[in-house]
Amino acid sequence: MNQTPLPPIDADDDWLDAMLREDGRDHRADYLDDGGFTAQVMAALPAPVALPLWRKPALTALWAAAGIGIAFALPGTVVDVAHEVLRVILGQRISLAGLATGMAVMGASACAAAAYMLRDD
Amino acid sequence: MAQTELTDAQLIARVVVHDDRNAFSELVRRHQSAVRTTLRRLTSGNFALADDLAQETFMLAYRNLKTFRQEAQFSTWLYRIATNAFLADARKRKEELLGDRDQDVALVDGDDDASSDGFAPDHTRASSLKIDMSRALSVLSEGERAAIVQCYHNDLSHEEAAVVLNCPVGTVKTHILRAKQKLKARLYAWEPR
Repeated sequence: MNQTPLPPIDADDDWLDAMLREDGRDHRADYLDDGGFTAQVMAALPAPVALPLWRKPALTALWAAAGIGIAFALPGTVVDVAHEVLRVILGQRISLAGLATGMAVMGASACAAAAYMLRDD
Repeated sequence: MAQTELTDAQLIARVVVHDDRNAFSELVRRHQSAVRTTLRRLTSGNFALADDLAQETFMLAYRNLKTFRQEAQFSTWLYRIATNAFLADARKRKEELLGDRDQDVALVDGDDDASSDGFAPDHTRASSLKIDMSRALSVLSEGERAAIVQCYHNDLSHEEAAVVLNCPVGTVKTHILRAKQKLKARLYAWEPR
C-alpha cells in the first residue's frame, strides 16, 4: 500500500480542533425541515403484504388433516401414545386444589389463545 | 399512546412485529434532519445527491430493521447505513462526483472572496467558517471526511465512529490525523496569530 508517513502531531492544533467543534455544534443545531421528505420515503416503501382471508382457515384445515392422516396411518402408535398419556395422568395423585389450578390454567390459556386468534391486525 | 410519545425502540418493535408504517414514518420524521445534514456534509454540499442517499438510507433501514440489535443507538445505526451508501455511491461514480465538487468549490470560491476581503462583519464569522470548512472538507478523501463528520459533526467517540465506518479505531484516528493536517493547510487563514 502506498502510505505516506504520518505528519507529527502538533500541540498547536488546538485552534483547528476548536474550529471543528464549533462547526460541529453549528451542524448539530441546524434542523432541516422535513419538507415532504418523510412522505417521499413512505411512498417509496414496498406495498404491505396483505394476507388473504382464507389463509387462517386453510392452515387450520391443513393441520387437522395432517393429524387425522397420522392417526389413520399409525393407528397403533396413536392408541399407545393416548394410553400412556392417560396412564401417566391417572397415575398422579391429584388434589382438588391441583385440579382447580389446572383447570384455571387451561381456561386462561384458552382465553389467551382466543384473544390472540381474534386480535385486530 | 401517540406515536410521538414512544421511544425509538418501541417504534422499531412495532415496525418489526406488525409492519406498522405509521411507526416507521415517525422514525423517519425524527431522524431525517440528522441523516440529511450528515449526508450533505459527506457529499460536500450536493443537496440533491444527499437527499437521494438519505432516501436510500431509510429504505435500507426499513428492509434491515429486523437485524438491528439495539446494541448501539438507532441514530448511530442510521449513520452507518448512510455512510456506507455514500461510500458505495462515491466509488461507483467517482468521476461525476469530482466534477460536481469542482463546480461547488468554484461557487464557494466566489462567496469566499467577499468574506476574506476583510470587510465581513463579525456576525458573519459563523457563515464564513461554514463556507471555508465546507471547501476544506471537499479536499479530503471520502474516508477522512467521513471520520471528521462522524467525530465532530455527529459528536461520536472514536469507538462509535469505528462502528459506523466499519473499520478499526486506529484507522479512524489515522483518518482524523491526516484530515486535520490537510485542513490545517487549507484553513491557515483562521489560525490565531
